[in-house]
Amino acid sequence: MSDYHLNRVLYDRAREHKMAESIGPDELAGYDLTAEERAALAAGDLDALFRLGANPYLIRRVFRRRYAL
Amino acid sequence: MASLVAACMTSHAPNMTATPAAAPEQRARFLAGLAEMRRRLVAARPDLVIMFVNDHVQNFFYDNLPAYCVGVGDTHWAPKGAASFLKIPQRQVPGAGAWGKALLAAGLEAGFDLAVSHDLEFWDDVSVPAHFLMPEGTLPILPVLTNCVAPPLPTPRRSWALGQFIRRFVDAQPGHERVAMIATGGISHWIGVPNTGHISPEWDRWVLDTIADGRGEELAGLTWEQIERDGGNGGQEIRNWISVLAAVPGVKGEVLAYEPVKEWLTGCGAVWMQV
Repeated sequence: MSDYHLNRVLYDRAREHKMAESIGPDELAGYDLTAEERAALAAGDLDALFRLGANPYLIRRVFRRRYAL
Repeated sequence: MASLVAACMTSHAPNMTATPAAAPEQRARFLAGLAEMRRRLVAARPDLVIMFVNDHVQNFFYDNLPAYCVGVGDTHWAPKGAASFLKIPQRQVPGAGAWGKALLAAGLEAGFDLAVSHDLEFWDDVSVPAHFLMPEGTLPILPVLTNCVAPPLPTPRRSWALGQFIRRFVDAQPGHERVAMIATGGISHWIGVPNTGHISPEWDRWVLDTIADGRGEELAGLTWEQIERDGGNGGQEIRNWISVLAAVPGVKGEVLAYEPVKEWLTGCGAVWMQV
């Protein structure tokens, strides 16, 4: 399974500088995602997102507030 | 003929400008290094600067992702309004479009099939170093972008070859332009990965010592795996430095500043090549 659409979710937010703590199902209409990807986004599980192939720069940008620094 | 009058490298990080109150002593020492770099750049009187930088997945996404790209626009955003996280006012800096188009054509002739962009928006990659080194915003910038953030990445050896080629290109230009080269990025940092915030001063020191000794070509022999292990995913940006090192092979570097700044999540170096 390609991680393209997972990254697309993050890229679309990063481009608009839209920060998130988590990204729920109501914000994911139109994205072709697996159940596991949706769960990781909904939980804001950064390690799981990384494991699923999300680009780390996009993780950092979108979930910026989750980091202490 | 055109001539290379300066070559230098500096780390970049959003928090250099975004969190100005953080790490005040390290910040003061690192910015003193950048101030010295700026003084030397001004003294070299360049007519344009070729900046070896990397996108942070803002211009290029997985739908169209070049290994290398030259920016031929007559202006670049550095930064654009939405990039307010940098806390730098929006501005457009001049490009070097004619030079960029000539580089594109020369590359195709020489076997470097660079991608091309007429419209680039820069984040900390260009905006932060330019804020400190070229605050006037009058020096034309020719950006050469290397994919350092979305693997698979071009090999460091290829970045070395690209730097060699661009030096030959500069030397072959018929005008009398004075050209500076600046690489940004690195040194070690781990970003967006499970150990985000880690820095390796040991690897940073090895990189800096290697450059100071005039042995920069050794960096071109690194593999992705070695860099990822020792310098982190952010350490992959060392490709930008390698291209500048290739433009001045054998030349020794002078480390103007080195600070492993936890609050910037980056091992930060500033190096002047004794061209």
